[in-house]
Amino acid sequence: MKDIFFDLSVRSVRLNFLRSLLASIGIVIGVVAISSMGMLGTNMQLMVKDQLTTGINIITVTPDVVRAEPGSSVSSSNEITEIQLRDIRDAAGINEVIPIDRTNTQFSIGSNDGRGSIYGLDPDDIKNIMNVSEGSTLRGESDAIVGATIANRFNLKIGTRIKIGEPNVSVTRPVIRVVGILSSAGLSSSNGINTDNAIIVSDTWYTSQFGGGNEYDQVNVYLKDVSTLTAVEDAIDKKVNRNKEVVRISDSSSRITSVSSTLSSLTTFILAIGSISLLVAATSIFNVMMMSVSERVQEIGILLSIGTEKGEIRRMFLYEAFILGIIGAVIGGIMSVIIGYSVVSAMIGNTAYFFLPESIVYIPGGMLIGMLVCIVSGLYPAWRASNMDPIDALRAE
Amino acid sequence: MNDTPLIRLTDVSKVYHLESGDFTALNHISLDINEGEFVALMGPSGSGKSTMMNQLGILDVPTTGEIFIDGKNVANMTNLERTHMRRDTIGYVFQKFYLIPLLSAYENVEYPLILKYKKRDSTGRAAAVLKSVGFDEEMSAHRPSQLSGGQQQRVAIARALVNDPKILLCDEPTGNLDRKTGFQIMEILVGLNKEGKTVILVTHDPKIAEYAHRTIQLEDGRVVGS
Repeated sequence: MKDIFFDLSVRSVRLNFLRSLLASIGIVIGVVAISSMGMLGTNMQLMVKDQLTTGINIITVTPDVVRAEPGSSVSSSNEITEIQLRDIRDAAGINEVIPIDRTNTQFSIGSNDGRGSIYGLDPDDIKNIMNVSEGSTLRGESDAIVGATIANRFNLKIGTRIKIGEPNVSVTRPVIRVVGILSSAGLSSSNGINTDNAIIVSDTWYTSQFGGGNEYDQVNVYLKDVSTLTAVEDAIDKKVNRNKEVVRISDSSSRITSVSSTLSSLTTFILAIGSISLLVAATSIFNVMMMSVSERVQEIGILLSIGTEKGEIRRMFLYEAFILGIIGAVIGGIMSVIIGYSVVSAMIGNTAYFFLPESIVYIPGGMLIGMLVCIVSGLYPAWRASNMDPIDALRAE
Repeated sequence: MNDTPLIRLTDVSKVYHLESGDFTALNHISLDINEGEFVALMGPSGSGKSTMMNQLGILDVPTTGEIFIDGKNVANMTNLERTHMRRDTIGYVFQKFYLIPLLSAYENVEYPLILKYKKRDSTGRAAAVLKSVGFDEEMSAHRPSQLSGGQQQRVAIARALVNDPKILLCDEPTGNLDRKTGFQIMEILVGLNKEGKTVILVTHDPKIAEYAHRTIQLEDGRVVGS
């Protein structure tokens, strides 16, 4: 059965169609604003999270900072030893363990001097964890691979020679030859090494120049299954740090948490800005509802005098607010898909995440909030209508 | 007809508290109206006719005194009970018809039935009542604004009758109609009274008042003749 009060509300909206439509446009804008803003923020979060999680399966083991004990004869070297590496390998089980030497050094390319990180790795490991975009991997003893940024900045080509060390006229500096250039890693370092600004050489060449054989600056553990992260970290900790803290074990999960939380705050912030438009819409709906009540005072008087209950009068006006909300929410929902998609595409440049549930949920969410705002805005006008004195209302012209 | 009057007013006063001072619209009125009576309320402007109608229609409550309608003390009723009494026991016919502009003639008549039974009328009652007041069936779908004054008043009477009330309160029902139509409406009311309805009518017009069994004269809020 169709409710006569709903019928009356529909007819009232139809009678004042333009005014009702204008009020609904406020809701449309509000719904579009919060849906699009919400989707924009979520798409940004999803994209950044995806980029960050490329390196989440890596555990980095670095030597802990050693406190020099005055008068102590034991010299603690600030490196990971071969014994510790063996322990790490034991603890890591089936996962790949790659020891890395690293230092900061000056270098010269032609007449240009620069400074950057130089990594020493087993050439077999390099093949496994690095992505050479141009040239080849290390073959000869003095071959080197360079990162994308350094290659770009110094205009490095395959075959370019790099002199390592400080320029000093009295000493002949060792020379390496670029055989490969790595693809750019950007924010998502999939191998746990910041290679964009680095020169990578073989471990043997590295130790021949910088010393430190059987000692490493960093050990990376590449997990086959990311869910074993904590277990493997615990195992390494138990095995290597059994007596005292000698290595520091870290991963990128904390970084993801912190970036995600920042982005989530940003999303909330832009959502709050979007919500302002809903506040404006609420005022407009409130205004239209109050106008509808004022224009229908006599009608309310008639309804009350012939035995309409207060609750029925309230229902009639709440239906009217609900109808305005439905119109606004439906149009707003449809427009949110179009505008939201355009905004995400223009600002993020990637719509791959747009139709994922966590993104698209903002549309029904926005519609629901739009409708709720309408109903809440209609509460007072409806209450006022139902509490009119029928005699006064009948007298109104 | 039983001995208890359908309507009993006992020492009823209505005082409005205005900025210019208290205004007594009804001043210690006591009267009985029996079931089946046709009563005309007459009096000059400001004599308290409208206030009296509001009291009888329980749109308002007296400042002092008691009103019994159909054996119930209005002052002891809840708001909802009064609303239901307006819906079920009293039919109101206004000078300005007061039809609901958004509803058709038929829907206006059906409306009190929906209020009472919480569903649309499937019994044909609304159509039958409209027919009984001489309303052209073909006009049923028209909105009030598309009807003449006489037609609107017929619809208003049908609306007042549709829940079969005991009392029909008519506030100058012919006031907005031409003379001929006015008499036609009066004929309808006389017919309804003959069928057993208690009709209370406010009028300025002595010719109209002649249709009633009894005329109550009001002046300055008092009954000066009955």
